[in-house]
This record gives sequence, C-alpha cells and structure tokens, in this order.
Amino acid sequence: MTGEHSALALRGLAKSFDGKVAVAGVDLDVPAGSFFGLLGPNGAGKTTSLSMAVGLLRPDQGRAWVLGHDVWGDPVRAKRLLGVMPDGVRLFDRLSGGELLAYHGLLRGMDPAVVDQRAAELLDVLALADAGRTLVVDYSAGMKKKIGLACALLHGPRLLVLDEPFEAVDPVSAALIRDILHRYVVGGGTVVFSSHVMEVVERLCSHVAILADGTIKRVGTLDEVRGERRLEEVFVEAVGGRTATGEELSWLSR
Amino acid sequence: MAVPVTAATEPVRPVSARHFVRLKLRVMANNFRGQSWRVALFVAGVFVGVWFAVGGFLLLAAPGFAGEPRYALLAAAFGGGLLVLGWLLLPLVFFGVDETLDPARFALLPLPRRTLVGGMFAAAVVSVPVVATLIATTGLVVTAGALGGAVAGLVAAVGVVAGLLLCVAASRAVTSAFATMLRSRRVRDLAAVLLAVVAALFGPLQIMVLAAVREADWDRLVEVAAVVGWTPFGAPWTVGLDVAGGRAWAVPVKLLITAAAIGALLLWWSRSLESAMVGAAGAAPAKPRRGPVGGAVGQLFPRVLGGVRRDRFGALVARECRYWWRDARRRANLITLAVVGVFVPVLVNLGGNGFAVSPDQGFESSGSSSPVMLSVSMLTVGVLASVTLANQFGFDGSAYAANVVAGVPGRLELHARMAAFSVYVVPMLGVVAVLIAAILGEPGWIGVAAGTLLAAYGAGLAINGLVSVLGAYSLPETSNPFAMNTGAGMAKSLLTVLSMAGSAAAAVPMVVAAALLGASWLWLALPLGVAYGLGAALLGAYIGGDVLDRRQPELLATVTPRR
Repeated sequence: MTGEHSALALRGLAKSFDGKVAVAGVDLDVPAGSFFGLLGPNGAGKTTSLSMAVGLLRPDQGRAWVLGHDVWGDPVRAKRLLGVMPDGVRLFDRLSGGELLAYHGLLRGMDPAVVDQRAAELLDVLALADAGRTLVVDYSAGMKKKIGLACALLHGPRLLVLDEPFEAVDPVSAALIRDILHRYVVGGGTVVFSSHVMEVVERLCSHVAILADGTIKRVGTLDEVRGERRLEEVFVEAVGGRTATGEELSWLSR
Repeated sequence: MAVPVTAATEPVRPVSARHFVRLKLRVMANNFRGQSWRVALFVAGVFVGVWFAVGGFLLLAAPGFAGEPRYALLAAAFGGGLLVLGWLLLPLVFFGVDETLDPARFALLPLPRRTLVGGMFAAAVVSVPVVATLIATTGLVVTAGALGGAVAGLVAAVGVVAGLLLCVAASRAVTSAFATMLRSRRVRDLAAVLLAVVAALFGPLQIMVLAAVREADWDRLVEVAAVVGWTPFGAPWTVGLDVAGGRAWAVPVKLLITAAAIGALLLWWSRSLESAMVGAAGAAPAKPRRGPVGGAVGQLFPRVLGGVRRDRFGALVARECRYWWRDARRRANLITLAVVGVFVPVLVNLGGNGFAVSPDQGFESSGSSSPVMLSVSMLTVGVLASVTLANQFGFDGSAYAANVVAGVPGRLELHARMAAFSVYVVPMLGVVAVLIAAILGEPGWIGVAAGTLLAAYGAGLAINGLVSVLGAYSLPETSNPFAMNTGAGMAKSLLTVLSMAGSAAAAVPMVVAAALLGASWLWLALPLGVAYGLGAALLGAYIGGDVLDRRQPELLATVTPRR
C-alpha cells in the first residue's frame, strides 16, 4: 500500500524565532512500520521539528511528507493519515473525556456509531472510564497524556506522532501506553515520538535519531546508533554534555 | 571547603514594594523587546491616555478658572465619583485587568500577605491609566488653588493622591473578587445574580439623576453633591474645596473615610488574592458529574442541539456551546453582554427625557423615543453582542491545535462558531427586543427592534469573523477571566473599537431605513433585518474562511500564550 514511501519524510526543515535559530535544516526518513525515537536534550528543537512535520507550525524552509503526501501542499490527505499528540498544548479541556473523544472523532468525519464504540473501548483500555464525566481540566497529568493519546488513536491513523508521550506519566500508565504503542506498530502502524529518557527509547525503538542544536547528530537503527556502547554514552557524546567535577556547589553539602 | 549554612546566619533581606514595582517595569520592558508593534501599541495607548487626561483636566479645572465654587463642588463630587465608579466597573465590563504580575506566581515565595498585597498594589499603581487619571484630577488641585489659595491646593493634592489609590484598590478588589466567584463553579450563579443587581441599580439611579437634571434645580444638585462628598466616592476629591469653603474640619474626617475605604478594599483584595494563588493549583471541586447515560457522542451534544446532525459541523457547534458556558472567561463575557444588552437601550431611549417621576403613578414613560432612536440603541446592542467574538480564537488558546491537526476547513469553522454563539445570543436579543418594546409601551416596535438587532448582530458577526482571524491575540492562561497580557489591553481596545466601528457602519442601513420609510418600516424591519444579518454573516464567513484556510498555523501561533 505504502511500501514505496517513508511513513514520514522531512527535507531541510528550518525555523527560527526572532532571529534565533531553533531548527537548522532537519532531514529525516522514518521507514513505514518502524518505532522511531527522536532523542534530544531540552531546547534541541524536538517540538519545533515535530510541529513543522505535522502541520502545526509553518517552516521557514523545507518540506514534509506523510506517506508520500505533502503536509504543506496537500494537508487534507496528509492529515487524514496522521494522529498527533502535541506536547505543551492544551486539549479542549472543558470537556469530559468521552466528550473530547466524540469531538475528535466527529471532527475527523467518522460515523457517530463508530465513534461511540471506539471511545468506550479506548476509555476502558486506558483506565479512564472511572473518571466518568469529570472534565479533562481536572484530570491528573498522566490522565491528560492518556486522553491525548486516545484522541490521536481514535481515527485509526497510519502514522502516530507523539511529543513526549512519557513525560509526567507514572510507571503504570507508562507501561500501558508502551503496550498500546507496541501493538499499534505490530499491527502495521508507524510511531514517531520524542523523548529524553534513554531507557524508554532503548526498550521500545527500532530506529533512533539524536537531535541537538537544531540538527540531526546521529540517525539509524538502534543498533547502528549505539554500536557496542550504551545509548546514554552515545547521546551525551553527540550532544556534548559535561560531567560534574565535584568542586562546584560545595555549599550543598553541610 | 563547605561552609555550614543555617537559617540564622544567612541574613534575609526584607522585600519591599519597590521590588514589585521594579519587577513589573522589567517584565513590561522585556515584553517590548524585539516587538516593535507592541511598542507602537503602547505609545498609541499613552497618546489616548494623555488625550483623555487633558480633557478631564480642563473639565475639572474650569470651575476654578471661572471662580464658581458651586460648579466646583459639582465637578469634584460627581466627576470624582464617576471616576471611582469607572475604575470599579470598566475593568469588569470592558477592559480587563493588566495581570503583568500574576499572583499565582508568588504562591511559592515565603512572603507575608501584607508584603504581597502592598507590593501588588504598588505595582498596580504603575500604569498608564493611573498616570492619565492623575493628570486629569490635577484639575481639581488647580480649582481648589484658584478658589482657596495654596493651602487648599495642597490639601486637594493630598486628596487626589488618596482618591487615586482608592480607584486602583477598588478596581483590583472587585475584579479579583469577581474572578474568584466566576472561577468556582458553585458560586457562579451567585456572581451572575450580583452583576444583574448592579445593572438593575443603574436604572433607578439613572432616573433619579435625570429627574434632578431635568428640573435643573441646582440647589438640589449641590445638596446631592455635598452628600456624595461624604461617601468614599466623593470624599477624596472634595477636601480641597472644603478648605476653600472654610470647612477645614471636614478634611481629616474625609481623608479618614477614604483611608478606611482603601483599607477595607485592600483587605478584601488580600482575601481573594490568596484564593487566586492557591486556586490555580486546585480550585475545582472534582465532583463526579452525572449526565445522560449514553455514548460519547450523546454526551457531547447539549440537549438544545438535539436535532443537529452528528457530523463535523455538529461537533464544532456542540463543543463551542459547551465552552461558552464552561469556560469562565467566555461565561464572564456572556453575563456582561446580557447585562449591558438590557441597560444600554434603556439608557439611550429614556436618556433624553425619559421617565417622569410622579408621586402617585410611579414612573411613566414620557414617550418621546422614536423608531430611529430605538434603531440606534438596538444597533449598539447588536454590535456589542458580536464584538464578543473579536478574539474568539484567543479564548481557545493552544487547544485550537486540535482543529489545525484535524484540518477543519475555515468556512466550516466560522459557520460553526457563529452558530454556537447565536444559540445563546439570538434568544437573548429576542428578550431585549420584547423588553424594550414593553418598557416603551410600544408593542408595534418589536419588529423594528428585533430586525435591527439581528441585522447589526449579523453584520457584526461578519466583521468580527474576519477580525478574529486577522487580529487574534493570546490570552494569559490564568483562571482570572479578566486578566490581560501586558500590552494586550491596548491591542484589545484598539481592535474592539475598530471592529465595533466596522460593524456599526455595516448596519447603518437599518437606521437609515427607519428614518426614511416611516410606518411601513415597522412591518418590513423584521424580515429585511433577518435577511440582511444572515446574508452579512454568511458573506463574512465566506471571506473570512478563505483567509483562515491560508493562515491556520499562523493563527495558532498568535493565540498560543508565550511561556
């Protein structure tokens, strides 16, 4: 069906804010059926890159394709195949979980009966059914992540783009999310997610890319990127971090 | 080598109001950095402020130049009282409060409440409106000086400063209290009632004032002014005249009244400030809500929308309907609109020579309003109703991303938003039309009233649909529905004035028709008005939708608050 196209292809995406470069030309190919981790320290440009890739932020330069459809040239086709969970973006949180799912489903042009059935199933699986008609604004951080994921999954997209899906999520919910994403990939879907937690990326991903200072530093399958070493070592080396010497902050110890 | 640290050895420097003021100035300056349009807006705001200030100054100083102590008292008591009233009510109805320093940000700092309130208060004083008010009220000092010499002028200056502090304290206390009320879902109905009561008070007050003015009984007016001078509304402004009039004993008493009022307001403010600080963390009582059992889709649609198709348009309308009530910010707008919608036409139509107060019959209308006058007031209400949507995307904030990701077509988006708002507003306008016709005792004018209302509302929807796409700005993500971002106050006012002027111009044909067509217009107004409004709204959505399609991501970026 989509064998000849990458699930997500980025070419020369660049963006600067007020003269400050946030993303300086990102090229990326996410193979269909892969579980792709985008690694990077805070402020590396992960959110900016992903926002440009899914049509939330207009790039200064460069293009993006979802399964061969140009995100900025043919947004309707591209967005239909795409499920997105942005980070740092509010949901329509004055709705209850069920209402929010219904809204997303109908907005995607789905049949109301299908929306009802899938929403009930998703709420059940994600252990959100107990929340009843509590408004999403009153949800805990982990519950908000889960309802966000449910909204992205509802219309059965072929590509899932998740920004920091494991941030502020407790271990139980994290395991649940991992499990769902894993099944989604096994079923033929493609997941791209950003994170700075090595352990999660190492456990889940088939492919990784390391992003720092707005450019891709390393990219490939997990084994290609880490080689014989641990992923964390490669990451710190690629990003250029520093280690504490023990001299500074001496006043912290009494 | 590690130095042992204990709380006792580390000196804690006291935090004073000065720090808050400097913080506010710094935040303002940083907001301007690299944003030339913000600087431009700020400068424009300063000019508008100076313009009004000079006008007010001349008005208040004129009795002094003319040497008229009676007019001086009237100007001081009523002018000053209006000023306080304006500071009290305008932020609620129209402008919002500049929340450059959001109280929630101070929740974690070990600051005593007294320091916090003092600091926030000092920071609130540093603003363009305060300076403008100060310039205007200097007129009182001039008047007092001209009438009673240097001492009177000096006392008046003290009074003016006290009065200014009163104004700021009043505006802060009231908006903060209302914010608290509207935030908690339980008390929101009480807040609505309270606002309605305030509005209802306008009626009798208006009638009293009008009766007094019409009889042109200056002695009675001066008496009223003297009484107002003893309330907190007039006390600070009239002290200079008391010295000039040889009633120096009144000065300390009046200053005491003012000080007590400021103290009480600050106390009130500090109460609600505390709840605003912790409220941000967890004010909402997460009680399990019960509702109709059924699928998710059934839950989304309010009962009123039972007949709406369960598709994209329906989902958008349903979500907007939910939001107009559940979002405190939008609800505050709706309530204000309901209140203003009733009292503006009453004011305009009865304003000239409305009610005669006759002792045996209560009020009766003297019936001098005309269909033209009625049309003008209805046009105002229609325009005010639609201008609520001038920043409709700003209400959503970053949540609008959901619609961008789903690729909602622009026209569909605008149609749905207009429809959802109309679910609330059209019945409200209907009530206004019936009510005003009943008050005027002219049931035959219902058609004119309703027709003009709907025409103005529809034309306003068209204009504001465009404005909301092109001129959107972000609102701060606090729970205070009256909060504004720095500099956004000016942007908001400018945009509001612009779109109101545009909407009014678009609806002027209705007034012209009322003036030219005479009796036949009484029947034609309703169908023509409805057609005109509907046509205008559809045309607006047609054009605005196109623009929206092209700049969805840009719109999302402008309504996303900077973090």
